[in-house]
Amino acid sequence: MLLSLLSRRSLEVDSRDAYGFALRPQQIQRYREYSSIYKEEEEERSTKWKDFLEHQAKSVLFYSSAEKFSEVSQVKTTEEKEEAVLQRGREGDDSGCIISDCDVSTECNTEKEVQLSKGAKEEVQLSELPGKEVQLLERPVKEFQLANTHRKQVQLSQESEKSAQLSEESEKDKIHSKATKTHKIQTWAQVRPSVHIIENMMSCCVKKRQKMKEGQISASRDHLPSINEIGTSGGDSVEDVDHATVKKSEDNVVGKMVSSETLFSWKEELESLVHGGVPKDLRGEVWQAFVGVKARLVESYYQDLLAIESNVCESKERSNSFRVPGKFQKQIEKDIPRTFPGHPALDEDGRDSLRRLLIAYALHNPAVGYCQAMNFFAGILLLLMPEENAFWTLVGIMDDYFDGYYTEEMIESQVDQLVFEELMRERFPKLVNHLDYLGVQVAWISGPWFLSIFVNMLPWESVLRVWDVLLFEGNRVMLFRTALALMELYGPALLTTKDAGDAITLLQSLAGSTFDSSQLVFTACIGFFAVTEKRLEELREKHRPAVLVVVEERSKQGRVWKDSKGLASKLYSFKHDSGVEEVFNSVESDGVLADGDKSRPETRSSNLDELLSGLTVDSEVDSLPDLQEQVVWLKVEMSKLLEEKRSAVLRAEELETALMEIVKQDNRRELSARIEHLEQEVAELRQALADKREQEAAMLQVLMRVEQEQRITEDARLSAEKDAAAQRYAVHMLEEKYEKATAQLAQMEKRVVMAESMLEATLQYQSGQARVQSSPRSVRNQSSGVESPRRKTGLLAFGLGWRDKNKGKPSNAEDSGDKSVNDEKDSNIA
Amino acid sequence: MGCSSSLPGRSSGRLGGLNSSESGGVPDAKNLRVKLVLLGDSGVGKSCIVLRFVRGQFDPTSKVTVGASFLSQTIALQDSTTVKFEIWDTAGQERYAALAPLYYRGAAVAVIVYDITNPDSFNKAQYWVKELQKHGSADIVMALVGNKADLHEKREVPAQDGLEYAEKQGMFFIETSAKTADNINQLFEEIGKRLPRPSSSSS
Ligand SMILES: Nc1nc2c(ncn2[C@@H]2O[C@H](COP(=O)(O)OP(=O)(O)OP(=O)(O)O)[C@@H](O)[C@H]2O)c(=O)[nH]1
Ligand SMILES: [Mg+2]
Repeated sequence: MLLSLLSRRSLEVDSRDAYGFALRPQQIQRYREYSSIYKEEEEERSTKWKDFLEHQAKSVLFYSSAEKFSEVSQVKTTEEKEEAVLQRGREGDDSGCIISDCDVSTECNTEKEVQLSKGAKEEVQLSELPGKEVQLLERPVKEFQLANTHRKQVQLSQESEKSAQLSEESEKDKIHSKATKTHKIQTWAQVRPSVHIIENMMSCCVKKRQKMKEGQISASRDHLPSINEIGTSGGDSVEDVDHATVKKSEDNVVGKMVSSETLFSWKEELESLVHGGVPKDLRGEVWQAFVGVKARLVESYYQDLLAIESNVCESKERSNSFRVPGKFQKQIEKDIPRTFPGHPALDEDGRDSLRRLLIAYALHNPAVGYCQAMNFFAGILLLLMPEENAFWTLVGIMDDYFDGYYTEEMIESQVDQLVFEELMRERFPKLVNHLDYLGVQVAWISGPWFLSIFVNMLPWESVLRVWDVLLFEGNRVMLFRTALALMELYGPALLTTKDAGDAITLLQSLAGSTFDSSQLVFTACIGFFAVTEKRLEELREKHRPAVLVVVEERSKQGRVWKDSKGLASKLYSFKHDSGVEEVFNSVESDGVLADGDKSRPETRSSNLDELLSGLTVDSEVDSLPDLQEQVVWLKVEMSKLLEEKRSAVLRAEELETALMEIVKQDNRRELSARIEHLEQEVAELRQALADKREQEAAMLQVLMRVEQEQRITEDARLSAEKDAAAQRYAVHMLEEKYEKATAQLAQMEKRVVMAESMLEATLQYQSGQARVQSSPRSVRNQSSGVESPRRKTGLLAFGLGWRDKNKGKPSNAEDSGDKSVNDEKDSNIA
Repeated sequence: MGCSSSLPGRSSGRLGGLNSSESGGVPDAKNLRVKLVLLGDSGVGKSCIVLRFVRGQFDPTSKVTVGASFLSQTIALQDSTTVKFEIWDTAGQERYAALAPLYYRGAAVAVIVYDITNPDSFNKAQYWVKELQKHGSADIVMALVGNKADLHEKREVPAQDGLEYAEKQGMFFIETSAKTADNINQLFEEIGKRLPRPSSSSS
């Protein structure tokens, strides 16, 4: 399990994600945003799974321990180890079982060691291998970094076990490897029984499937007897295979009886858990359970396959009928360095594992051999589980889930594309119309999606989440659902694209940044719940004939190709004899006739008559197509005609869409003219409005000016009023003075009167004295009486004259006052 | 397998998106848009050529192409026309040839690549030429490319062989190196020049 190694190496390289896969530079930011979400999700699902598995463990504890015990004698070493751990796990009450990869540290060591010794007694009972005790005693602490070497050692130890020649050194290796393994499994000690339950449940399905395919299996096993012939060490393999299978199915019957009720009651619960994702640390084991590795596993089969290979390599003279064809070997060599390049776990040893795995599979299933894409699958599996388990998981995926997909003709893969296109037309007619219009075929994009099972197409978290569901379901439904979900998510954006290149680029990059893996999985599983295996099977039946026709055609061309290759290779090697070429030439003429070009139906000239004449010509030569072959040919021709008809219909549809588009454009043109017109009007109106505004502004200005003037006059008025008030005040003051003066005058007059009367009195007194003397005095008195008013008037005249004189003064004051007001006015204006 | 996208800046650098949509996908004489497919044996360097052309990089550890992968790139020619290449890089393993028609159908250009250090790949190239002559578009522009020209000390296919074969088939021939970038841009420029121009353009 390379991944656990990886996480221990504190992988903090920025351009790689938590799984050690390279991130594209433009996505590093997005990934960072999502990594915290991933962490949260991971914690959540860890607890959920833990609860679930603990619950299941309790309910099936009894059954599983019983079954296990009976199996002990025949399971292989790894399983024995699990066994032991199982027992221990039951003993221990440590609940901290779920330790995420990154948390595995030396800190946990002591605790585990305690647990280990705790379980030791029981283990002694269970195991027949004395090595185990030794292991417990001298368990090396540095084992953690040894995961890499351990892979090699497993290999070594298993081989040495077989040959029963355990040197001391290999014994040691074995111990080491076991210790490492124990440690890893130990992490899951408590939950293991329930993972095992999942395994049992899934293996029921595997069994059924295997039985259904009995014929095929025996066919594919045809090459196995060679193990007897070639492999000296693995001579017992065939018998072993049957033996083991029988044994296991017996076990399974028991298992079924005991636990079937429980199994199905929690299947739904498990399904919802799987939709939420499998926890990182469980993924390897759970995937194996889903694929049914335990039920598939045949003891030493993998080692035997590898032994064949190495034997063949050693002695090249041997018959090469059962070795991996050179072309696969070459291709594998080309592809190994191009599988997750730079992944820290795929170092020299990792690549060796990868090579062994792929070569073993090519030997196991020659119908597939090696197909590009498998390198990625094998790589992922190696990151999650031990090499041999990875092999069996790969076998399960390739032989069951993707049966017929990666074979030489890739028939099922092509069928699935037609099926997917039909589903697309059904679900997203508008989008498909748009893509048709742009000239984009859905299969251009969905083809690589399906073939790679989204590896390298989606961000890693999403890939693994899709695989979780796909492996759980045991078929390819999830491929379709995921692809449909992607179309649902990104269809609206695609509708805005204007040419084929943009559409494809957009879809590729959007898919490549589908970091929200939960959204993707839920959209797929819930939104496209109705896409079921049953429905897919129906559609596959419907579309398969068309693919078979094309494949038939190509296989004819293939012969042509081999011919041309023969001719060409003559330039470099002179191996081909001319006789073969003649035959091929005749076939070529045949192939040319039969060659129906779907894309250019109008240029295709062959009709049935020509075909028939062609056939007779052929039979004249020597490559004798018999009657049956002719029937096949007619069928082929028929299908081709149907195909042509279909493509004609399609073209008609295309043209129709194009026409619609043209009409739309026409409308558009008209509309745009009208818009232009309207725009002009609007512009005019705007102009008018602007004019009006200008006028308004002018008016406003005038108004403002008037107002200002008003204000000035007002000011003037105010100051004038002030002047008036001041004048009035001055007048008032003068009047007061005048009154005072008059009062003084009156007083003076009074005094004058008094003085006169006193004078008169004095005079009278004097005259009275004089009368006494003479009477004429009284006459004199009268004349003085006349005289005094005249004097009085004189005084008055004086007073008036003063007043007149004073009158000139106020007018002067008035002048100076005026002047100051004027000053004020000036300052106001200023 | 490239789940690769084209450089946003470069692919959208052309204003012509509008123009091609209005003319129903037919580009005008100044702004060409062509579908190009890369074919050839596995490991000859198809993906490396595209990545060199589009991103200007060479990654000695490229990824295996599964199915096909798409990239686009626009170049300007000397006569001030622009050509937007919509490139389909296909998977090289023989069995993936079954899917190739999906990608070369309707392609205006086919670039057939072999590895000058590998005669088998030259044979394979000839197979592709035949297949395209039969099933490709009638007026398809084909180029034969001998890649890994930097490995001249390991050369097994003489340049003369490539040239002669290409001339016989009426193809354009060039030797390139994705590693050193030798002749990569020339390859695409040369293709651009050979493209049939839309005869009567509206402008
Ligand atoms: N020296 C040298 N090596 C090259 C050159 N081009 C490609 N390579 C190497 O060849 C390997 C394969 O190149 P790819 O581009 O992946 O090959 P491909 O044709 O795409 O292969 P498939 O995807 O399998 O069809 C790369 O890993 C490079 O190391 C080149 O110009 N010079
Ligand atoms: Mg490639």
